[in-house]
Amino acid sequence: MAWIVKDSAGTEVDRRPEAYLTDALKKRFETDILVRYPTRRAALLPICHEMQHEIGYLPGQVLEEIAEFLGLSSAEVIDTVTFYEEFHLKPKGKYLIQICRSIACHLCGYKELSEKVQKKLDILPGETTEDGKYTLQELECLGACDFAPMALIDEKLHGHLDWEKLEKAIDELPD
Amino acid sequence: MTPEELTQMRDQTRQKKSDCKHCVNVCTAAGCLSLRSDQLKDAIDKAVHHAGRQDEVTVKSVGCMGLCSGGPLVSVESGDDEVMYHDVKPEDAGELVQSLDTEPVKRLQCPSDMPFFTQQTKIVLENSGKIDPELLEDYIANDGYAALTKALTEMSPEDVIKEVQTSGLRGRGGGGYPTGLKWSTVAKSPGQKKYVICNADEGDPGAFMDRSVLESDPHRVLEGMALAAYAVGADAGYIYVRAEYPLAIARLKRAIRQAERAGLLGAHIGGSTFRFMIELRLGAGAFVCGEETALIASVEGKRGQPRPRPPYPAQRGLWGCPTLINNVETFANIAPIVRNGGDWFASIGTEKAKGTKVFALAGKINNTGLIEVPMGISLREIVENIGGGVPDGKQFKAVQTGGPSGGCIPIDHLDMPVEYDTLKQLGSIMGSGGMIIMDETSNMVDVARYFMEFCMSESCGKCVPCRVGTWQMHELLTKIIAGEAAPKDLDLLKELCEVVQNTSLCGLGMTSPNPVLSTLRYFEHEYLERLNTNGHGATAEAASTEGA
Repeated sequence: MAWIVKDSAGTEVDRRPEAYLTDALKKRFETDILVRYPTRRAALLPICHEMQHEIGYLPGQVLEEIAEFLGLSSAEVIDTVTFYEEFHLKPKGKYLIQICRSIACHLCGYKELSEKVQKKLDILPGETTEDGKYTLQELECLGACDFAPMALIDEKLHGHLDWEKLEKAIDELPD
Repeated sequence: MTPEELTQMRDQTRQKKSDCKHCVNVCTAAGCLSLRSDQLKDAIDKAVHHAGRQDEVTVKSVGCMGLCSGGPLVSVESGDDEVMYHDVKPEDAGELVQSLDTEPVKRLQCPSDMPFFTQQTKIVLENSGKIDPELLEDYIANDGYAALTKALTEMSPEDVIKEVQTSGLRGRGGGGYPTGLKWSTVAKSPGQKKYVICNADEGDPGAFMDRSVLESDPHRVLEGMALAAYAVGADAGYIYVRAEYPLAIARLKRAIRQAERAGLLGAHIGGSTFRFMIELRLGAGAFVCGEETALIASVEGKRGQPRPRPPYPAQRGLWGCPTLINNVETFANIAPIVRNGGDWFASIGTEKAKGTKVFALAGKINNTGLIEVPMGISLREIVENIGGGVPDGKQFKAVQTGGPSGGCIPIDHLDMPVEYDTLKQLGSIMGSGGMIIMDETSNMVDVARYFMEFCMSESCGKCVPCRVGTWQMHELLTKIIAGEAAPKDLDLLKELCEVVQNTSLCGLGMTSPNPVLSTLRYFEHEYLERLNTNGHGATAEAASTEGA
């Protein structure tokens, strides 16, 4: 991720005074997760899943807190977390538009749909609109190949899409 | 739960079911659920109450019935009779309930002689669409945990391994390694601590077998893992499942909790000294984690990058301990094998491939969905009979098996039997079970580029051949599709395929050229048509006219 690659020693992390990883959470993680593993590091991914669920994404500060909690360096945590596509280091928009790019959807023209969304919202896959309303993602097979091309919009499945249907679904999302 | 208590629960649940005149099963696996089959179930429930028949009609949520293209699916069991309905809507509920004692509703009924149902052999999916995946007693009523009880009371760990060896079961995740041999290696590996891992990181595009098994019959996988743990001497297990499968995760969590409460997981299983715990681990969107050494790294809390083998996980796996890794479908075969004996299993299938295989049918085919067929069945049987052929009167062109590690098999080879070795000879692989059917309109170079793009973006970047090779091959394929490639580019592509195949670190890289190689083998003319032979920047159309 950019902020660690550019200048890992001097980069500013957006901080807030109170910790994300509260004592109550630490206690819960100790009893629910850490006891089940022979090493503390093994709890890294489960804890990241939990924190992302809690906050919506993984801010730099929380990664530092997790590192300290598990006895790892921040660099080790960043290195691991950035490997996995499903961990988001930036806030996501209010609505997620997830377009399936897998083979069945590919054969049925997902690309054109994705490009039209990109143009409409002026963002690339993985980006969020400036007003924080939409995040666009292209993702792998959701196992709903018989509805190709398909998309998940705000966690609702929309199948057999064409541009008209897709644009309508996006426009109908409330502010 | 002691063996006696288990039998008691089984008999009670069976009795309860036979006391009921009709059982209405509504599919609530992900596919039908996305068509709001939960609302359909509520509507049928209401209709039953409205008719005042709740004492003699049970309405049940069940797992996948297979014919996903006809969803939402409903089946009605009345004694020994079963009627299957497709495309059922909530407004049909009243009519359906009224018809229970009379003639079935003809307009919604699936023909009972439909090859999609009659040509299948179900072992892994025997309970799918029959039991409520959220009820432990439903699994037990269908002989669930009988195999585990039998193993713990009548068999030694060696006996269990012997039974699996006799069955001839081979890994269903794609590699086809003999399961019994893997188990005996782990059993023999020295070490106090051993682990069992279930690989549920199903990532092949177009594949959804494992998701469906986990959603429809989660206890079957837990029982298979417990049997494996008993056989190899492990006391802890992990299921590594994709985070993109929320329903499967929820049902697994519930199943683990139920089994722990019933004493079928945990300490003193079934009143014996055997202990085994299962922990769920969520993936985070990295396809390479399906590779066993990468999966282990991920469970350990590291980047999901593979490492060279040997040592194999069977010798040194999770935290350096001997580790058994099998895929969901492999584990799902274990309980029936232990229950019915290895010889029974070996009697199904062919000489070199025993048992059945679950396939996910997708793409240009009429009956999309999930099927289970005996090994050795012909591709034609699958595509034309069970799958119902290609829609819209189009011509069948090829079937893609094995996802990004597999290849495309053209029409001339449709009569070949589906077996590990024959598919390999044809330049594809069995793979985990995704089957994508392509019709005459499909562009094979584009298909090859699709899979290369997939491998390129999923490459973990650890080894150069895969990281750089997939990128370069993708560039060349893009150039060919744009009509800008010269004949020497095609030669370069072939050479790169060979290099990446021979020098990559793990399966992802080694098999990434397969979709290119197999489309080159059967559809080379589609590549040649797109080459620019005059060297003056001809367009794709012009190049293709020249080619013709």
